[in-house]
Amino acid sequence: MQNDKLKFKGGNEEAPCILACPIRQDARDYVQLIARGRFSEAFRLVRERNPLPSACGRICIHPCETKCRRNSTEAPIAIAWLKRFLGDNFSEETRERTTEKYPERIAIIGAGPAGLAAANDLALLGYSCTIFESNSTPGGMLRMGVPTYRLPRTAIDKDVEFIKKLGVEIKYNTTLGVDITFDSLKREGFSAIFIGVGLLESRTLNIEGVNLDGVLKGVSFLHEVNTKGNAKIGKNVLVIGGGAVAMDCARTALRLKPQKVSVACLESRKEMPTTDFEIEEAIHEGVALYNSVGPKRILGKDGKVSGLETLKVKYVFDEQKRFNPAFYEGSESVIEADTIILAIGQASNLSFLKGQEGIQVTRGGTIIVNPSTFRTTVHGVYAGGDIVLGRGTMTESMAQGKKAAIAIHNALRNTTLKDEEWSDKPAVPDLATSRIALIKKEQKQEMPAMMPLDKRLNSFDEVELGFPLDIAVREAQRCMNCGAGAFVDDNLCVGCLTCVRICPFEVPKIKKGDTTAYIDGDCQSCGLCIVECPAKAISFKTPLEDRGKDTLEAVFQEKFIQGIKPLIVNFYCQYSAYNEDKIDTLNNLLFFHVRRIGVLGLGKVDPSLYLKAFELGAHGVLVTACKDDTCHFCKEREWVERRTKFTTQLLSGLGMDTRRFKTHFISSQTGKEILGLAFKMVEELKDLPL
Amino acid sequence: MIVASSKPFQEIKQMLSGFKKICVLGCGSCVTICHTGGEKQVTELAAQLRLSAKLEGGQIEVVEDSTLRQCEWEFVEDIKEIVKDCDAVLSIACGVGVQYMAERFPKIRVFPGVNTTFMGGPIEQGIFWERCAGCGNCILATTGGLCPVSRCAKSLLNGPCGGSQNGKCEVSQETPCVWNQIYDQLDTQQLLATMETIIPPKDWTTGMENHPRKMILEHLVMKKQIS
Ligand code: SF4
Ligand code: SF4
Ligand code: SF4
Ligand code: SF4
Repeated sequence: MQNDKLKFKGGNEEAPCILACPIRQDARDYVQLIARGRFSEAFRLVRERNPLPSACGRICIHPCETKCRRNSTEAPIAIAWLKRFLGDNFSEETRERTTEKYPERIAIIGAGPAGLAAANDLALLGYSCTIFESNSTPGGMLRMGVPTYRLPRTAIDKDVEFIKKLGVEIKYNTTLGVDITFDSLKREGFSAIFIGVGLLESRTLNIEGVNLDGVLKGVSFLHEVNTKGNAKIGKNVLVIGGGAVAMDCARTALRLKPQKVSVACLESRKEMPTTDFEIEEAIHEGVALYNSVGPKRILGKDGKVSGLETLKVKYVFDEQKRFNPAFYEGSESVIEADTIILAIGQASNLSFLKGQEGIQVTRGGTIIVNPSTFRTTVHGVYAGGDIVLGRGTMTESMAQGKKAAIAIHNALRNTTLKDEEWSDKPAVPDLATSRIALIKKEQKQEMPAMMPLDKRLNSFDEVELGFPLDIAVREAQRCMNCGAGAFVDDNLCVGCLTCVRICPFEVPKIKKGDTTAYIDGDCQSCGLCIVECPAKAISFKTPLEDRGKDTLEAVFQEKFIQGIKPLIVNFYCQYSAYNEDKIDTLNNLLFFHVRRIGVLGLGKVDPSLYLKAFELGAHGVLVTACKDDTCHFCKEREWVERRTKFTTQLLSGLGMDTRRFKTHFISSQTGKEILGLAFKMVEELKDLPL
Repeated sequence: MIVASSKPFQEIKQMLSGFKKICVLGCGSCVTICHTGGEKQVTELAAQLRLSAKLEGGQIEVVEDSTLRQCEWEFVEDIKEIVKDCDAVLSIACGVGVQYMAERFPKIRVFPGVNTTFMGGPIEQGIFWERCAGCGNCILATTGGLCPVSRCAKSLLNGPCGGSQNGKCEVSQETPCVWNQIYDQLDTQQLLATMETIIPPKDWTTGMENHPRKMILEHLVMKKQIS
């Protein structure tokens, strides 16, 4: 499988955001690419592991953020929103794909997250895949279950379009068990069948009154609204359930304009199995929430729903943490409603397995597979996703599809291909308490454009409008690059203690009994120690970080560059600018004379690189660092000042006019200030003999 | 450790004028730790040399390398191939390293890039201080563990002199009077009485006055000793 995964050197601690993700999305690395303004590369990296980036960036419950180490300083990085930002604004059309082509064809049942992921990865491995989908559009539960105000269909279509470009064929309106059978597929020449269907039924309650007119099933309700744009409900809607589907039902119902929408669930507010964000948005839009109540019976009048009798909940989970709710006796009360939507979970519909008794299923209606080979009990038939997990998230389903793809490949080729990304690695531990104080708090960027309330309820249009470019970059720049910072080459370290003494975050240590320094995953990537290490023993693990070197060399590859007089190289801090290498704010004159080299923090730039710029042909070097208040690190200013002094000494030692090397601390790297400074330097150098 | 300070660039430039291919050679031990002769300084010096040549309209080739210790024949041998076709070597090891290079490669001009200055240590990051004079006859046992030979401006054995004022040396207000420190130290150790014992004149022939000094570890000598 082609893998553009960045190659890391040294250390094996992995960022917790990556480890938390069911598909092991390279969260840290795409966030770091965004922080550097390298958006297309970031999107490519996302797409490399994630077949549904646009959809995922919107509805994934983002366990990555739950584990993000920024939780201990203020709030996690908005990893999912950043992915959405990439999915919305970038695409990747030019990828070279594997040239490997295998003769086997694979049939995939269901164009939902599991099926699409399996098809995507099998296509990348070199197989031709056909997806059979019973609906007339792709997406599975994403399309049938998730409301459009959370996931516009264009986002699904964009993702699916890309999968189709890999050669995956999708046959719509084709239902297994009706239009096709396992036998017919085998006869058609498919070598393997992957079942990736979702849970299409709502679980129902075993209480009095569930058959009354006005009791709806959550999944069917959502399906109906999502396909027809409407559904029949009364004036007072009550949703039973506390998960994401319940919130979806409630917010969808609101948009059909009843007088009242409420949600009743067993769980307390804290226990509700959905994200805080979803709950808050539902309340914000006007949903009334009844926590810690259990349904006793549905009350009716003339065969129609009139309300729900509830009991107060003692506890939802017993001492063994099993779901085992208990109620207070005699605590009955009534919530009035004329429509009740059951959103207490989903169930499978296994009618497609008719005549396929060989495929073993569980009592709960899920298909039994070997968890590592994804084989069902029938040869050549594999399964994954919700139909195996019972209830999974979108990402868990994708993970199943991806793992199944490799399993199918291994079975067909008799190989043992392994996706290393899933191997066990230790996570970078949580930030030490003593270190939290040393790290600058950086406020999380909020989703800036939320559709105003009055507009929201009149349409099914998307509520969150996405990050604009500059906000996305700012947000990405909060990331601490966990586990990808500096590391020490034991063969070079002379144990001089410089790094130990100068790191503002107190990360490097020479452990008792060791002769060399050790830098753990807490490194903040400021690079100060890398520059100061006299043995040049420290470097960055991440190949993203060249500390300005490659960029500088690239500048001098430019044709006719040597003809520019004066030529000024501007080293600037990207923490207060996002337009890497672009001088769109500089005018024409400067566009001609100035070349920009962006670095995330100038503390990682070697003074010898400034000399190198002169050596390569620059006439002036302009360093523009940030003022303290905009600095992501601490002590950067102090070190940039020291090195300016040091560099100036080196240059005057050579007899060079010191007007050719200048450092300024400014508040924005894209505003007027930099323009003025660059202009002044051009003017000054014009008069010098160069 | 041995502490060396960088030579002024102009001096280096003068030494090397006329050479076309120069090897700047660092040493991975003491001079790396004192930030004047390690890999980092090799890079900086090489960049300076190239840039300086460029500024004067010329061009030179600079090879950058470093040894683990330049005062070992075996490690010096390792860079044979590298220095082979250089016109000159600028060694930024201490004087010992420079001489090892000069002795091993007699046909190549070897120049010192640093001034080897003293034996001492970093009393804090970036500040190095002399602590030992290599007198060959250590008296630290009687002076509270503080060396008046290297740390007293006059190397007095029975100090302090009359110039000691408020704990500072009369020679420089920035230097603590080591005899004052010795007094305090002995006081802490309740050994002040030792101050009254006169230290007799020292045998200085074990020290700098008796070059070149030599040490032979009979039990380790492998071949017949070269005289
Ligand atoms: S700070 Fe960045 S690398 Fe660290 S856990 Fe959060 S997103 Fe991942
Ligand atoms: S600064 Fe470099 S040589 Fe010194 S202890 Fe740290 S890694 Fe080792
Ligand atoms: S790169 Fe910065 S944060 Fe990381 S160990 Fe070095 S000095 Fe500390
Ligand atoms: S003042 Fe102290 S250190 Fe200075 S010369 Fe006198 S005894 Fe020596």
